[in-house]
Order: sequence, then C-alpha cells, then structure tokens
Amino acid sequence: MTAKRTILVLGLGLAVALLAGWVAFPRALYSRRHQPLEFRHKTHAEKSGVAECSQCHALRDDGTFAGIPTIETCAGCHSERMGTSKAEAILVDTYIKPGQEIPWLVYARQPANVWFSHAIHVKRVALACAECHSTYGETDEVRIYEVNRISGYSRDIWGHSISRLRRAPHEGMKMSDCEDCHRRHNLEVGCLGCHQ
Amino acid sequence: MKVTRRDLLLWGAAGAAGLAITPVPWKLLDDVSIWSQNWPWIPQPTHGPVEVKQSFCTLCPNGCGMRVRMAAGWPVGIAGVASHPITRGALCPLGYGAHQLNWHPQRLRTVRHRTNSSSWEEARAAFAKACGEGPIAIIDGYPGRAASSVFESFAQKRGSYRAVLGPEMQALSPYEMWSGVPAAGLGYDLENAQTVVSFGAPLLDGWGTPGRFTRLWAERAAGSTDPQLRLIQVEPSFSGTAPSRTATRAWQWVPIHAGAEAALAAGLARVLLDEHLVSVSARGPMPPITLAEAADETGLSIGAIADLARTMVARPPVLVIANDGNPAIAALNVVLGAAGAPGGIVRRAKHTESYASAAADIGSARAVLIDSTVPWNFAPPTNAEVFRFAAWDGGSCTADWLLPAPGFLEELTDVPTSPASAIATYAVAPTLLKAPPGVQSAAQFLFLSGIDPTLMPVEKIIHARCADLFRERAGTLQGQDTTPVAKFASVQKLEEQLWKGAVWIGEPPRSAAFRCALKEWPATARSAQSMSSSSMNWSKAWRAPVLPPLASKLYQESSLREAPEGRNA
Amino acid sequence: MNARYGMVIDLDRCTGCGACMVACASENNVPSIPQATPRTGLTPMLVRRVSNEMEGSARREVFIPITCMHCERETPCVSVCPQQAVEVDKATGIVMQMPQRCLGCRYCMTACPYHARYFNWWDPAWPAGMEKSLNPGVAVRMRGVVEKCNMCHARLHSAKAKAAAAGRREIDPADYVPACAEACPTAAIRFGNLADQNDPVSQEAHSPDAFRFLTRLGTEPKLYYKSKEAWVRALAESTSANAEVKHG
Repeated sequence: MTAKRTILVLGLGLAVALLAGWVAFPRALYSRRHQPLEFRHKTHAEKSGVAECSQCHALRDDGTFAGIPTIETCAGCHSERMGTSKAEAILVDTYIKPGQEIPWLVYARQPANVWFSHAIHVKRVALACAECHSTYGETDEVRIYEVNRISGYSRDIWGHSISRLRRAPHEGMKMSDCEDCHRRHNLEVGCLGCHQ
Repeated sequence: MKVTRRDLLLWGAAGAAGLAITPVPWKLLDDVSIWSQNWPWIPQPTHGPVEVKQSFCTLCPNGCGMRVRMAAGWPVGIAGVASHPITRGALCPLGYGAHQLNWHPQRLRTVRHRTNSSSWEEARAAFAKACGEGPIAIIDGYPGRAASSVFESFAQKRGSYRAVLGPEMQALSPYEMWSGVPAAGLGYDLENAQTVVSFGAPLLDGWGTPGRFTRLWAERAAGSTDPQLRLIQVEPSFSGTAPSRTATRAWQWVPIHAGAEAALAAGLARVLLDEHLVSVSARGPMPPITLAEAADETGLSIGAIADLARTMVARPPVLVIANDGNPAIAALNVVLGAAGAPGGIVRRAKHTESYASAAADIGSARAVLIDSTVPWNFAPPTNAEVFRFAAWDGGSCTADWLLPAPGFLEELTDVPTSPASAIATYAVAPTLLKAPPGVQSAAQFLFLSGIDPTLMPVEKIIHARCADLFRERAGTLQGQDTTPVAKFASVQKLEEQLWKGAVWIGEPPRSAAFRCALKEWPATARSAQSMSSSSMNWSKAWRAPVLPPLASKLYQESSLREAPEGRNA
Repeated sequence: MNARYGMVIDLDRCTGCGACMVACASENNVPSIPQATPRTGLTPMLVRRVSNEMEGSARREVFIPITCMHCERETPCVSVCPQQAVEVDKATGIVMQMPQRCLGCRYCMTACPYHARYFNWWDPAWPAGMEKSLNPGVAVRMRGVVEKCNMCHARLHSAKAKAAAAGRREIDPADYVPACAEACPTAAIRFGNLADQNDPVSQEAHSPDAFRFLTRLGTEPKLYYKSKEAWVRALAESTSANAEVKHG
C-alpha cells in the first residue's frame, strides 16, 4: 500500500469524522419546534406602555417568580380580538375564550433539582435580565425553540455553540456557567444553595 | 481500486481520532448523563403559585385547625394553626398525611348497589321507596354540625336519629343521667385540674384533641418528679403487649387486672369516704364493696388502693376520666366532688341537646342511612336496607348501597365544639378542594331527594348559626387577633372572619351550673372494653375508613407502632 | 454571620406519636412504600422506642426522634463519600446530601453512627393522581441513591426568597422552621441557630439536662437531647455492644 493511499484513507476518515462531529451532529442533535404563538415583545411593550420586564414577568410577594405570565394577563387586553393577525385569532379562540394556559416552550427550563431565586438575583443583587436572557425581550424576534433530543432540555442551556467556545456573554445556563459568575464575584454557595 | 480491510481499519482509526476532537463524545456524555437522571416515570411535582389556606380537619369530631399549602390549586402540605385556642398548632400524626387521602386507591367514585355498579337515580328511588314503607334511622358520626341538624330534622318526622359517640362523650353519659344536663353540654376542665386519674383513657395518644392534654402535660408535668399536673394512669398490664404511651410516660402507672376498673373506682370511693378525705358537701353514695373485694378483683393490695386514694386528693382539683360509659368511674368523680367543680366535669356555656347513642337499639327501621363520618366498623342491624355514605371503601362492606361522599376538605361544613372541650367553640371549614364529579354527601342527598321540603341546605344553616352567634353577643372570635363578638358591626363581618379560619370561643365554663344527684352506687358489669389490649390500638381514634398512605411510616416502615387493627390499608 | 442550625429535642415531652415522621415524609416527597419493612423503610425522621427494661409500674419508656445530627467535626458521611455528594455548608452548618450526585455505594450509611441515612431501594411511586400532592420545593429522588434529612432546605429557600423580595439580607427566623419542629404537638422538637447566643435553643443546648448521642466519637452533632431522667441521659453513650436497652 502506498503512503499516498494511506494518507488519503486517513484523511478521508478524519474529514468524515470532523464533518459529522462539527456540522451534522449539532444539526441532528436538536429538534426544532415552534412556540404555540408568535409573541412579539417590542410591539407589546410599545403598544401597552410596558417598559420593564418585571411588569409582566413578575416577582410575587413571597419571593417566587411568576415566570411567563398566565392567560389572565393576556386576557386583560385581549379578551376580544384587538388586531387582524393569525396569531391573535389563535390566541383569543384557542386560549383566552376557553381559559386555557398557553403551553409556552421555556428556553431557560432547568431540571427539577435546581433552585434559582429571581428574588435574590434580580431584586437583591440587581442583575440585569439581559445578563442571562439576552436582549431578546427588547426585540420583535420570534425565536425557534431547539430541544436536545437526548437530554430533553433547550439548546439555550448548553448554549448555541456546540463547542462552548466563542459564546455570547449570556449564552449557556449550565451549572458551570452559574459557578463561573459566582466565582468571579467571590460568592461561595453550598450545594443546597442552588439545589433542592 | 479495491477497498481493503486495511482501508477500513485506517479509515475507522482516523475517524475515531477525528471524533475525539469534535464535540461528539463530550456532548454525548453530558447529554446521556442528564438523560439517565430524568427517567420519565419518576413523578414530578406541579409548579404554580403557592398559597396557604386555612380550614379545619373534619376527619374526626375534634376539628383541629389546619393550614393547607396549595400549589396550582392542589394540596401539597399540611400544618396546624398556632392561634387556635384548643389545638394550639397541633395535629395528630395522621392529619399530616391527610392531603393525600383524596387519591387513595380505595376512594369511592361510583354508587354501588351490593356488588353491582349503580347510579344516584336508582339510589334515590330506592330511598324514596323505603321512606314510604317505614321509619328511617339516621346514624351520624359527627353530631352537632349543620349537616347533623339536617339529619335531625328529617328523622324527627320520619324515623330516628342516632349519634356515634366517641369514648370522650360516652364517659360523660352517666352525668347526663344524674343531672339532666345533656352529655354534649359537658366537658372536662383539664386546664384547671392538678391531678388527673385516667382509667384506661389514652390521654397522651389519641384522646380528645391532639394538642390539648398533651400540651398541658408537656408544659406542666413532663420530666418533673413533682409535677404541677399529676397524671395517674390506671391501665391493665398485658404480657407480650407493650403498655400504652400514657402508662409509661405518666407520673404513676397503676397496673390492674383487666376489667377491674369499676372495682377499683368503688374501692377508692370507699377509702375516700371512710377516711373522710373528701368534703362532706361533696359526699356521694357509699359503694357496696369492701376493700378486700376490691383488692382481690384489681390485683392491688389494700394498702396500695388506700395509698392511691390519698395520693389522688393530695393535690386537688382532681379529675377522673373513664374510657367508656362505665358509671362507677363517674360515681367516683361525684364522690370526689369533681362533677360540677373547676378542674372537674363542667358545663359548657352553650345549651345543647341530648344525643341518642347509635349503640342503642334502632328499633324496627325500614332503612338505615349512615353518614360518611360514622366509623367503618359500625355494624347496622342486618334486616334493614342500609344506605352507607363514605368517601373511601374500608373493605368488607355489608351495606346494600355504598354511596360516594365528598372526601377531605371537599365540602363546606361547620365545626362544632370538640367532644372533651371545657369551653364551647364554633368554626366554619370552607371547601378547599374540588370534589370529583359524582360524589354527594348524605345531607345533600336528603335535601335533594325532596322527600322533606322543609329541609334547609347546609350553607343556609351555617349562615343562621352565625347570625345566632352575632345576636347573642357572647364570646370572642380568635383569628389573627382576638375580638369580642360584641365588637362586630355586622353579621357579615363576623362571618367573613369565620370563613377565613377564625374560631368562636364561648364564655368560660360555669361549674356551678350543674349538679349530680346520686343516691346509690351504680351497679356495673365488668368493663368489656378493657378486657383486651386491642382496645388500646392507636388507629381506633382515626374515624376515616382508610389511613393516610404516609401512616405506613409509623408501623410498617418502622416499628414505632403496631399494625393498625381491622384496617386493610 | 454564619449560622449553625441545630435542635434541642426534649425527650421528657415526646410522647412518640410520630407526627414528626409523617410531616417529614410529606414535606420531603418521600413516598409510602408498601413493600418496605422497618429495615428497608424510608424514614428520614425516625422515632425510636426505648424502655428502662423494667416490668409493671416501674416501667418507663422514652421516645427518641432520630434524624441526621448534622455533625460538625470530621463528619463521617462526608469523609467517606467517593462522589462528594455530601458536604457541610459553611453558611448554615447543615450537612447537605445531594441525591442527584450519589451513585448509591451506601458507604455513608455504614459510616453514619446514628443510622440516619436511608437508601431508595425502589423507584418512588404514588397512586394515580397523588403526585399532585408533591411539594414543589423538593426534587423527587430515583432509586439507587441515599437520602437523609436536609433540615427542610425547601423552607430555607422560601425564607431566603421572601427576605430578598422584602429587600432584606437576613431571613426572618419565624419563616424557617423544619417540618418536624412545626409538627410536634408538645413542642418537644425545637429548632434554632446554635451560633446565636440569644436564640433560646442555643441556650437550652447548654443546660445541664442536655446531652448528645455518642459524643465520644467526636463528631460534634448539632442535635441536642434533653431529659431530667437520669436513665434516659445514660442512653447517650450506649451502643449495641453494651446494649441494655431495646431499640425500636
């Protein structure tokens, strides 16, 4: 066998592996899903005069985070159709009128054994929403929801970059990302400080 | 060019090496480890806004104050209510698992007629037919509620009403006979007693309201060799069975032969009278027993009986508590002067009615209606058609009709005074959980049957009772703060507080308001209840047909308690 | 200031009712396990029944609630865990067990002198619909991992969140009471911060009637027991080797 042939075969193997690992794998690993409705943050903020994230994504009095607002909040304005878009039609007919909660796909969903307190991070430490959630909430972007077929969690948890290199500052919500920030700020928290 | 095996091997090796410098192995490891920790068959809690609602446990007549933590509308945790004047934040061990009862596998959801599935229409038709053919006996396990008054109204015209009385109330029936004051109007003034002599009553474990006597005992007696509250437990000793908690934690345990309670009570009365240990004004009749006879029957020496009598009166007020309707023990209280004195048997301020005991003969009833509050082991006469309401199937049911009733916190009810209490109380337990479709309470059943159009729905009766409380302007309302009833501007304001969990407390007991006339010592048979140690079984005090699932921690997953008797779950 | 959460359990007041056991299981999403026995049962809080071995009227019994003692010094379970699934929290003194990190070797169960650790022999299961009664503040474990008392950490979390929402840094002590202490009808189980001299529990821990179990092992447990009865205090150093008492 010639050396040239050997190199060719090796190179082919390497090329296939690299292509599979860096291109095909990330594409195949994630399945793409659409949110049940196309919700546009910027439009809503402008039209209803909402300036702060916390006005809809509120902190309750007992310190728990309400997360994505319930259908009651939407019904506050949308009890009847306000516009002509298809999304609005679905909103009013499928969710508001029957009183059904919208099954939003949550990008930041953490495992059941994680305890994250928005009260501590947002109210006490005054961390900006964009630090973890990016400035998505200031745009009209309707993001696709990519979910990892094996683990079942959103792509946002690992971060978009499959190698975790050259990430945007807000990208990634794995335990190591929380730990990095805590280490930078010299805030040691025991296991049960974040787990339950 | 042929592709050889060597090619494949080289290609594979390069591929493997190449994969190692891609994210594939590392990402797969991470993903698989997460996947292996998220098995889909492991149940997850529901998430949602958490609120704490206040109500009362209605699984037994003690009506303990209860706070229920709800997440997304489902009950996820139970706690007591510290501001409740009687329970003071306590609940029985079973109460802490009560929120899981509504999903118990033995929950009843459909009407059953003997072994077949049936419907409410058929049950109503059968009941209406029975009403036309003869008297109906109604058995109530939790007398004094608004629903009870529905039963009593119905029974007045069409049959008889009977109440199942627990041992606390049974022990008060002799005083009713001797004074004319209904047993439901009497209570035990434990708060003012300094010596309590219990004849087999499990005062520290399953008697009366869980937090009442145990808390008094903990604060005034626990650990002290010279306690402010002396607890003397008279209880038979059975070989092979552990004595009760009350016996081994009491200040003194007096082990006697089984069934000799009446003899001991008589012997003690004799000593008290012979040695002039009781005041002349309180003198009761002399028992027809000699000390030697009492010693013989009880297994104690004459000296021991005499010592016990002297100890009993050493620190008055003394109160004697029986675990059943044994009149000899009640007579001992009369001799001691405890019947109608502070620290003894007292009359609660509110007027009450007399209940006919369900143990008494029902007579020739055509049908028997058994409320869901009646203990599962209550056996009605077999010649009548039995309509049994229950939220859970306790097994081996002999009733003709098994009718699914609302479960835990699934129906509005009021909370009358608990059986042993020295003061009258009243509260309202609102519905906190949605009942599943197809369940109906006995009171609703009677009301909806239309057989007696004068019946009122439970809610209306509760409103009327609140209006009575407001009008009488007596007592106080204890919630977050204590407010005298007289200070409430309207009945709506009063009701609002009650529906939020406040408790109405009546005036302190008037001990002088009741006097026993006892000419001669009552004749008694041996106390049947104490003949076997099984009467001490802890699960007897729990009325519901099934135990909460977490009770298994107490007897099956640990050896803290014996297995519950006569219960299959 | 770092807290040292502990308890004083008044054995003179305990009537062995078991309310603490049920309340603990309810708070921590521990299922009822129909196939378990006292050896395989899951009881993060367990009340043991001990007698003075006498018969008749001289017989006395004591009920001893046993749970993780949150040992402070050379914590046995921490030192043996190959996974570092358990560690002592500096801020609270609580020995934190992470079932999600545990690989189920059960070395910690052997190491614990107080037998306060329990293994999930089976996957947790509840009758249909009953999973709606699970406490959202506590993760459900799967089979094959060890668990133990974590001092009702979900309640500490709620207290911290509440304090943060109110703009406070320190929690309100009234907001953080473990389920067992809250449930006890005779107030035998009292919870507090041993590092706070003004905390009545801290003061009680220094009373002459207070003792701890197996202090000669040097684990410095943070659960103190209290009794005026000498025979009960004498139980403190007993082991199965010199057992004169029956274990429940």
